[in-house]
Amino acid sequence: MFKKHFLVLGLVAVIVLLSFSVSMAAEVIKIGALYPMTGRAGLYGKDSEAAIKIALDEVNAKGLVKGKYKLDVIITDDQSKPDYAVSVAKRYITSDKVKFLFGVISSAVGLAVTEVSKDYKVIFIGTDHAATDLTAHKFQRYYFRVSNNTYQSMFAGAMYLKDMPGWKKIAYIGPDYAYGRDQWLELRYGLDKLGVKYEIVGEFWPKLYEPDYTSYITAIIRAKPDILVAGFWGGDTVAFIKQAKAYGLFEKMKYFHPDAGGNYELFAAMGDELPDGLILSARHHNNWPPTKENKAFVDKFYKATGRYPSYAAQGAYAGILFIAQAIEKVGNPNDTEALVKALEGMKLKLPEDPEGFTSYIDPKTHQIVQMQAIGVTEKNDKFPPAKKMLGNFKVYPADKLMPTDEYVELLKKTKK
Amino acid sequence: MMNNIKGQYIGWIVFFIVFMSLAFLNPTEHTINIASKILVMGLFATAFNLLFGTTGLLSFGHALFFGLGAYITGMVVKSYGAEVFIPMVFLGGIISAIVSILLGFLCLRLTGVYFTMLTLAFAQLVWGITIKWYNFTGGDDGIQGIERPPLFDTFSSYYILILIVVFISMLLIYIVRSSPFGMVLRGIGQNPKRITFLGMNVYRHCLFAYVISAFFSAIAGGLFAGIDGSIHPNLFFWTQSGGVILMTILGGLNSFFGPLIGATIFIILEDVVIRQTEYWSFVIGVIMLSAVIFLPKGVISLLDFIQRLRKT
Repeated sequence: MFKKHFLVLGLVAVIVLLSFSVSMAAEVIKIGALYPMTGRAGLYGKDSEAAIKIALDEVNAKGLVKGKYKLDVIITDDQSKPDYAVSVAKRYITSDKVKFLFGVISSAVGLAVTEVSKDYKVIFIGTDHAATDLTAHKFQRYYFRVSNNTYQSMFAGAMYLKDMPGWKKIAYIGPDYAYGRDQWLELRYGLDKLGVKYEIVGEFWPKLYEPDYTSYITAIIRAKPDILVAGFWGGDTVAFIKQAKAYGLFEKMKYFHPDAGGNYELFAAMGDELPDGLILSARHHNNWPPTKENKAFVDKFYKATGRYPSYAAQGAYAGILFIAQAIEKVGNPNDTEALVKALEGMKLKLPEDPEGFTSYIDPKTHQIVQMQAIGVTEKNDKFPPAKKMLGNFKVYPADKLMPTDEYVELLKKTKK
Repeated sequence: MMNNIKGQYIGWIVFFIVFMSLAFLNPTEHTINIASKILVMGLFATAFNLLFGTTGLLSFGHALFFGLGAYITGMVVKSYGAEVFIPMVFLGGIISAIVSILLGFLCLRLTGVYFTMLTLAFAQLVWGITIKWYNFTGGDDGIQGIERPPLFDTFSSYYILILIVVFISMLLIYIVRSSPFGMVLRGIGQNPKRITFLGMNVYRHCLFAYVISAFFSAIAGGLFAGIDGSIHPNLFFWTQSGGVILMTILGGLNSFFGPLIGATIFIILEDVVIRQTEYWSFVIGVIMLSAVIFLPKGVISLLDFIQRLRKT
């Protein structure tokens, strides 16, 4: 008899405990991410995925709003196809009930997804795509970008060139699509604004993923610029530098590539072959700033994946942290309008912030405001398989790099 | 023959009931989005198959007409507002038909792989122009925010519009296919010389089929512009032409509904598989490969197979 009572009591205790733990379980807030997982941009998708996981582990370890909420990210391969990405984004919102759209490497995909975000009033955190348009004349209030746009890096580039003595003639080579065209437009705008006198001796527009740059390289050498500005990304940078090196291009002129030239995958792919003295930058550097936050992020990534991150990882990591901080501040993940307000002007210390600076989101354009560092290639084997990394960094202040109203007007006029 | 006609009859009823009932079953927006794409791509594939499935002429540039339809609708609606949407879908069809006459003059003189390559070349040419002409086409950024026509501006009412237009278009294509003209086309596919000896002009028949096919491909493209309100130059790209060929072969090119079934399988597979795995392209590839190996006459041949089983 006593035994039976004991059993019932035990059962009740278990049920009570169970229901208690159910009521204590955090509600999961879904984030719908779109990244290319295949093709040339696939590496950026994979690195973003790994960084998202690192960020989620950090955020979910303590939970949000006193453990009430947890974040979860669904990732779909957007195939870098805008029309496909749009239908996935709609599915995320209508079937999967995500509270945030997230990610995107290609600007064309970003421009398509921002329309979905606007129509459904769902916040879209852009982690990587660089087209200035999204935070300028194509701006809509549910869109936020947590990595710099091409204007910011090209304006920093213009400032670098202004301080560089002994050059006059300049040439440009970049892929023949919006990304390549925008960079050249923005660099020239920056140089003009800063009152730099220069002479353009050539513009070269190979197609994206061009395998053979020989004809361009010989034409560039014939044009004799003092500086060659490049606007490639990913494998195209590697292919161009390899081929140009064979023609001795880098002894004849300075190579300047301030938006995506310093992506880690270039260093990893070229090892010792990479010439010294190339002037490059990227949206995130594994060895700059030398802060403990950056080191911790890079180490965590290395531990998780066995490789060093490309720049895309830091943007994805930042995106999750911004979402977490916004929910923490508002206390309610369903109040989109309050979340938008919270994100406007939000400050967050990120791995790529140097000592004494904290990234923040510009309340007017929803663009993150960050410092830009441009460096020069030199020997450094601390991040294998790379044998060379950037060093001798020059740093440009964040507030000087934001697109002016005048530039936004120019965009409105020149682009539809 | 009698049985065949009855079969087609059932096909139409099933087609209409399935897609119509979708609208009333309180579907999610995603379901409607997928169903809209199936209808549009189904019409595109059926239009494409009017040429391929009868005469055997394989156009590898049909994306040109689909893209033209989408861009004409998209660009004009963007400039003049949603009121002109529906007329633009038809104008897109007519402009495409005119373009196809010009192309047909050049391409249809050739047959076999030469015809295929030439159509591919023209489509790639237009793709190249679209991707670079920023001020006019929006370049590789595409065009976003295309509004749907008034009265059909919600996703579910727009679906009804798609269903009506696709149903009528497919009916018209069916009438063309089963008319004496369609018979001649089939004859051309089997033996073009014999058709010539019968005193009929092979070239003119093919050109006419090509033009009709282009017209309806553009109608499909125009409707596509309203589904997501977002179009891109990759609608002109060869992968788009390749996709429609794949759908047609997967479904069965000798049957009228084959391409629609192919489009249905293709789009649902893409939606489901990509959700599950990063290696979706491998999975879809394997499924496609096995479908082509084990069902060389298309998935629709399964129906015949079942019918034969029941008879024996």
